[in-house]
Amino acid sequence: MRELRIAAVGDVHLDESLRGSYRARLEGVEEHADVLLLAGDLTRHGTLEEARVVAEEFRDLPIPVVAVLGNHDHHSDLPAEIAALLSGAGITVLHDDSTVLDIDGVRLGVVGGKGFGGGYAGKCASDFGEPEIKAFVGHTKRIAERWRVALKELQADRRVVLSHYSPVKDTLHGEPLEIYPFLGSYLLAEAVDAEGADLIVHGHAHAGTEKGVTPGGVRVRNVALPVLGRAYGVYCL
Amino acid sequence: MEAPQYVAARVQRALAEDERTHELGIRVDVRGEQLFLRGQVTGAERRALIADVAGEAAPGLTVHNEITVMDVRGPGEEERL
Repeated sequence: MRELRIAAVGDVHLDESLRGSYRARLEGVEEHADVLLLAGDLTRHGTLEEARVVAEEFRDLPIPVVAVLGNHDHHSDLPAEIAALLSGAGITVLHDDSTVLDIDGVRLGVVGGKGFGGGYAGKCASDFGEPEIKAFVGHTKRIAERWRVALKELQADRRVVLSHYSPVKDTLHGEPLEIYPFLGSYLLAEAVDAEGADLIVHGHAHAGTEKGVTPGGVRVRNVALPVLGRAYGVYCL
Repeated sequence: MEAPQYVAARVQRALAEDERTHELGIRVDVRGEQLFLRGQVTGAERRALIADVAGEAAPGLTVHNEITVMDVRGPGEEERL
């Protein structure tokens, strides 16, 4: 079975002032990769005007594009509208579900969604106490459970998880320890480890580092643009 | 005199919440009458805007804009997993 080349980037934070800037960097992307994954925070303020810029920059590429939204894309309370706009431009937007792409006969399964925070094992928020804390932790728990089910049901030759928030601490090195609970949650990694995957990509942690691994041994890559410092990372499976 | 930690926190909040910036990744340090901004952004315009918002949130302080503009290169080397 042939090798798959996965291009990925997150946190491009596009707005009108950046129109055309990303498109230029994607010239020849099909020579480097079979698919492009966008790990959320595609806009700055989550407005439809910014989402239109995102759609223009990433539409009609010679390879499929799969995206999840990030916290910035939720800021104007229009995530469904933004997702619909991107879908209209031919971009597959995952919301705690999956898609399977056929790449020269190799089935690439991508499971993903925004993810959420809470922190990491032993140093995390618990589903206990005030309703506000329960709502915070409950949001992550429900997302992790949906990912586990989506992975369990996925029929594919290679499996990639696409997230905005980080499932592990490894890729946060460089971020202040105090904000780790807002950067991700171990529940996401636990769900992926339970069902298995070949790679997890995420963004969100601009000051973090690129490479990490889950406790179960799944490779994790932080593809936030400021971390990569290049148009996209390419990972071969 | 307001404690420098509170001034820095107010500036950081302003950068996150002001609709001109919504910037979460900039480090803000206050030392005496000096305010330092550090981090990376994607363009010179944005770099200047962040300094404007920071200056408004901390009137009277001298803003030192040490933010760098990121130079995004091509895809670089692929990694085999």
